[in-house]
Amino acid sequence: MTQHRPLALEWSEGQGRACLRISGWTEKELSELGGLTAAELAWRLVILPSALLESGADSRTVPPIAGSFRIDGDAVSFLPRFPFVDGASYSLLVDGGAEVHTIRRPAPEAAPTTEVVTIYPSGGEVPLNLLKVYVHFSAPMSEGWGDRAVRVCREDNGEPLVGVFLPMEPELWDPERQRLTMLLDPGRIKRGLVPNQEAGYPLDEGVPVRITIGSDFRDAAGHPLRDGAEKCYQVGEALRARIDPAGWDCRVPPASSVEPLVVEFDRPLDHAMLQHCLWVCDGDGVPLTGQVSVGPCEKSWSFQPEKAWREGRHQLMVDSSLEDLAGNSLSRVFDRDVTEEVDSPEVGRRVAVDFNCTPSPGRPQ
Amino acid sequence: MVESSTASGLGEFGLELGTPALKSVGPLAFGPKGILFVGDNVGAAIFAIDVADAEVASEPHPIDLEKFDTSLAAYLGCSREDVNIRDMAVHPSSQNVYVSVMRGSGDAAVPVIIQLKTDGTIGDVSLDGVHFSQSLIEDAADEDDPRLVSREKLRTVTVTDMSYVDGLLLVAGTSNEEFSSTLRRIPFPFVGDTQSNSLEIFHVSHGKYESAAPIRAFVPYQGKNRILASYTCTPVVQFTLGEFEPGKQVMGKTVAELGAHNRPLDLVSFERDGEEYLLVCNDRHPLIKIACKDIDQQGPLTVPDDSLDSSPSDPVTPGVGVPREIMPHPGVKRMANLNGIGVLMLQEDAEGNSHLRSYGVATL
Repeated sequence: MTQHRPLALEWSEGQGRACLRISGWTEKELSELGGLTAAELAWRLVILPSALLESGADSRTVPPIAGSFRIDGDAVSFLPRFPFVDGASYSLLVDGGAEVHTIRRPAPEAAPTTEVVTIYPSGGEVPLNLLKVYVHFSAPMSEGWGDRAVRVCREDNGEPLVGVFLPMEPELWDPERQRLTMLLDPGRIKRGLVPNQEAGYPLDEGVPVRITIGSDFRDAAGHPLRDGAEKCYQVGEALRARIDPAGWDCRVPPASSVEPLVVEFDRPLDHAMLQHCLWVCDGDGVPLTGQVSVGPCEKSWSFQPEKAWREGRHQLMVDSSLEDLAGNSLSRVFDRDVTEEVDSPEVGRRVAVDFNCTPSPGRPQ
Repeated sequence: MVESSTASGLGEFGLELGTPALKSVGPLAFGPKGILFVGDNVGAAIFAIDVADAEVASEPHPIDLEKFDTSLAAYLGCSREDVNIRDMAVHPSSQNVYVSVMRGSGDAAVPVIIQLKTDGTIGDVSLDGVHFSQSLIEDAADEDDPRLVSREKLRTVTVTDMSYVDGLLLVAGTSNEEFSSTLRRIPFPFVGDTQSNSLEIFHVSHGKYESAAPIRAFVPYQGKNRILASYTCTPVVQFTLGEFEPGKQVMGKTVAELGAHNRPLDLVSFERDGEEYLLVCNDRHPLIKIACKDIDQQGPLTVPDDSLDSSPSDPVTPGVGVPREIMPHPGVKRMANLNGIGVLMLQEDAEGNSHLRSYGVATL
């Protein structure tokens, strides 16, 4: 082919996605290219991500970008099977690289708008054997940034703490990709396991820590966060006991009111599970509809009914899988000591706590 | 692109013609008649897809492809960093290799099922007009759970491994809320909505601490009667399929630990000279080989097993735990059995390049 005429690359549209339009061919070239089969055309013209060529990839051994060429008037168009990546550069190699032309996909500029909404636990102190941290974002996020953008350090001297979180692949997200669940390394938390014995707990009792969410965490659009976020915790002693609703304090609303039922826990509980592990039934066992809210530091939960409380017996239902910050549930201690009778598991999928609505505020029955 | 054709004889599996709406691709496993199971964690579903791969290779075929990730990046038109290889499986008859790849992330993420032919040609499976069915893996509420209308939809199960055993798809997953060890068993063909049941598997550490943890990876062996599973908290635990009964809690036998700051990534079984072996690859520790007969003879661990951590780079004969051999295959991230002739390994080198390499059973 003639190497001295100016080929021009430009972005165009085809079948609803960006395609690459290559113009500037001589009439002879166009005629020649138009007579080629698709396979022959793909052999003469190869498109590759420029970054691969720059990193030393051999255009003769790697496959070209999946897609199809076609003669489009006075130009040749390439429609990729997978969309071109915004911000990436692509190179056209003519006849094995005798000519190389490069073009860059535009990258939409946008100011970062996504931010961290909340980090749970929301309280200021966690047990030594803290198991989970939830990070809520204001918009859907990209996966794969948890291990890179979330850091833990000692709050007192800034020393980074490594290996606190368990790298997860894939990460644990909610369906909307707005809540990330991060597990502290369970092997380091469980008593008796080698990771615990060799590396110790992920946290140290009495050593405050700071969890930092870096602004480099990317949202679903690929943009960084508007700002980073951090949360500091004091680290208390390990917590190893089943959750026992008998130790909760219920503030029972008066009948005929729509005041909330407020349940105070003896310890902070898992914020995510509090959304669905507690509910209220009337005396016939029928669940009531209403508004649930979780109190400060996840130490309380309240239920405001849509309709006024009826006088008489009600039940607060508790799913046995409800966990505290250390993964202890109503059923089990997180790492149960089989030699300790007090640690013995409880069976049953749910526990009912009776309460009585009377014309004046009452206490649990 | 690999063109799929209308398959015949798959009505018995309840597959229907259409376009599976995969939102992501993750774990892969082949089922009967070359049906490919694909875990879709974003879509909270498992798809059974007839990949219409009617090629029949005369014999299993080794495949080697240096800088496989670079080739994938070229084919997919993106950078190497945008190529996220999730799993791979070898077709039982064509010997072609299927690889699940997420291209990019966030809104731009594209799920792709790559077909790598035995001659090294890269293509992708077209999902337009294929026979498929699907099973939801959303958290299944109890039938008598009264809260069905009010439960939040934030809870998910992320599938980390799958295996097909005699009409059942076994699925290991991790909840994004409660911390438990649940192995789902989904009968195949998929019938109705979610027809799965699940069981919890506990393990005891050193005869004293009983706990549960999500299974990261697992492999059936011994005629698919036994399962060896690696957990997020590092123990390697064995349990018996025959003990699976609905509603029953299963106690697995801890046979080894894989040490601190280490994640087990994948397991595979292979046979050599009539003996069955298992390979376990890790993100920090080297690849290890375990003879299945040793697992059966191994009693449960009663003392901590730190043999791997005491000399992570040297061959060891552990004083405790199941005997194991450290293999000279660095950077193994994923493995698949090459239908009896060897094991296919996805290996990452020090520069971050990923290579596909086949190893014959005689060398393992």
